Amino acid sequence: MSELLDINVELSCTGKCEGCEKYFECALPIKDQLLLQTRMQKARKALDRIKHKIISVGGKGGVGKTLCAANIATALAMKGRKVGVLDQVFDGPCIPRMLGVEGKGMEYTEEGLIPTEGVAGIKVASMGLILEEDEVITWFHEMKRNATEELICHVLWGDLDYLVVDVPAGTSSDTVNVIQYIPEMDGSTVVTIPSEVSQAVAYKAIVLLQKAKVPIFGVFENQAAFTCGKCGLQTDILQSGGGEIIAKKTDVPFIGSIPLDRRVAECADAGVPVVYKYPDSEAAKIFVKGADLIEERCKMA
Amino acid sequence: MAEQEKLTENEKRGIVAINVDLSCDLKCESCERFFKCKNPEKLKIFDRRRMARARETMAGIKHKIAVCAGKGGVGKSTVTVNLTTALAMRGRKVAILDQDLDGPCVPRMLDVLDRRLSMGRKGIIPVEGLLGINVVSMSLIRDEEDTTTWFHELRRNATEEFIAHVEYGKLDYLLIDLPPGTSSDAVNIMEYIPDLDGMVIVTNPTAVSQIVARRATLMAIEGGVNVLGVVENMSGFVCPGCGEVEYVMMKGGGEALAEELEIPFLGRIPLDPAISKNSDTGKPYVHSFPDSVPAKVTSGIVDQIEKMVGWEK
Repeated sequence: MSELLDINVELSCTGKCEGCEKYFECALPIKDQLLLQTRMQKARKALDRIKHKIISVGGKGGVGKTLCAANIATALAMKGRKVGVLDQVFDGPCIPRMLGVEGKGMEYTEEGLIPTEGVAGIKVASMGLILEEDEVITWFHEMKRNATEELICHVLWGDLDYLVVDVPAGTSSDTVNVIQYIPEMDGSTVVTIPSEVSQAVAYKAIVLLQKAKVPIFGVFENQAAFTCGKCGLQTDILQSGGGEIIAKKTDVPFIGSIPLDRRVAECADAGVPVVYKYPDSEAAKIFVKGADLIEERCKMA
Repeated sequence: MAEQEKLTENEKRGIVAINVDLSCDLKCESCERFFKCKNPEKLKIFDRRRMARARETMAGIKHKIAVCAGKGGVGKSTVTVNLTTALAMRGRKVAILDQDLDGPCVPRMLDVLDRRLSMGRKGIIPVEGLLGINVVSMSLIRDEEDTTTWFHELRRNATEEFIAHVEYGKLDYLLIDLPPGTSSDAVNIMEYIPDLDGMVIVTNPTAVSQIVARRATLMAIEGGVNVLGVVENMSGFVCPGCGEVEYVMMKGGGEALAEELEIPFLGRIPLDPAISKNSDTGKPYVHSFPDSVPAKVTSGIVDQIEKMVGWEK
């Protein structure tokens, strides 16, 4: 009985850099040129008037990537910045709901798609604004890539201070597509929950970002301690300290712990981010801290 | 020789029939319109190309159940692991297939993370965990910290590998833990296991999660998969200090979804600090805390599932 070392899949080079899963590991000196020639020019032009681009990553699903993206964007908008949010989730986009634009649709013109304005004047572009509610599209790799291109290259953002990009769970196609299309990404925030299982996946996401040379502004820990509204007892329902551990392990700043708080979920469901509706809550303070850090790192402060 | 010629003749006929659809490239196994396609030949073409081996392997398993959520982090893996453990505690022979390639969590939850899959004469040999549960997962091949970026074709190959080329042997149940999303992986499974007994949908109580779970359910229905029901996870938390129940992540999203789509509502699993702690240390709560509320609810869900799939010894 011999140990199974790897699964037998074909990994040979086809010369098509834009569809290659080994893009970041590849040592070919001409890979950047190949990619640029084929697809990047359009993206460059479309994103030309955006000062800073930030991506919210988690690796694991359901840890709060979208929540962080929505709240950071709102916190930046509340500081008077012009902000756009690009939702790269195609299977179950939640940004429209969280930013209060669900069902509003997106307008098309000859020049491109017009983002829909939500809370605090944030411009939102999402597949959720294009698809019907009951429509389930099973996206395969190439389709996703085309949709990614569509939303990156053909949205009329205008002048923006920040574009916040939300990606789906996983460390595969979607995340890599976005990173490839937006090479001048200013940085990223990583979200994890306190449990060990989540840390293991967040670690992979951090490795992917580091391979792609995207700076990491910091780590958020979501769904941290819960404080009972009646007796004030604090309970670590999903354990504690995971965010700090992963930050230390990868040498990335730790931004803070967002507690489990019914108001956070309530606000997300209602389409008004918690940072806007309850600016004095602990959760809001952490998001503002994250936004401050981003301003500092992007030299906007 | 004569038989071989006959087979070729059949194949030719199949191709003529298919050419009616001009955009069809005959590659059913990677076609995004597979479930919508009305071509009567599609199953045959698909079968011929890739399914024979998968079918042979799956034939030894009485019941195959997939757990899906659409949304990430709502507790698919936790629910799958505990349903599997609860079945094993009833004496069933079970295996769990961790279909999450990007962030596989099942091995950690069943405390087999340090073990490795091995290669037998007929294929991959699963790792045996708690109560004899067979485990197949990508993190039993690669290190948990190894980041591989999987693209569609690679995912399909890995799926095929884990379905067709594993020595599952004779089993009562195979539970499949699907990754988040309603794309490649979920569809791959539905294609490779056409006689899936059903799908369990997991959601948390929030409206945001409900939106995504709804899409997953619609996808299953479109694929002709029997939806066994909805589990509402992370539903309410009992304060250990005063006993007050707080619905930290709201309440009722799963039940509302079940009602709207007219599918069974299987149960509400509350938040419990013991669940997370024991998941991380590889001890499923149904086994470590059989008297806890989450364990009792889970056991009730297993009762319903066994009834629905028509379990007989």
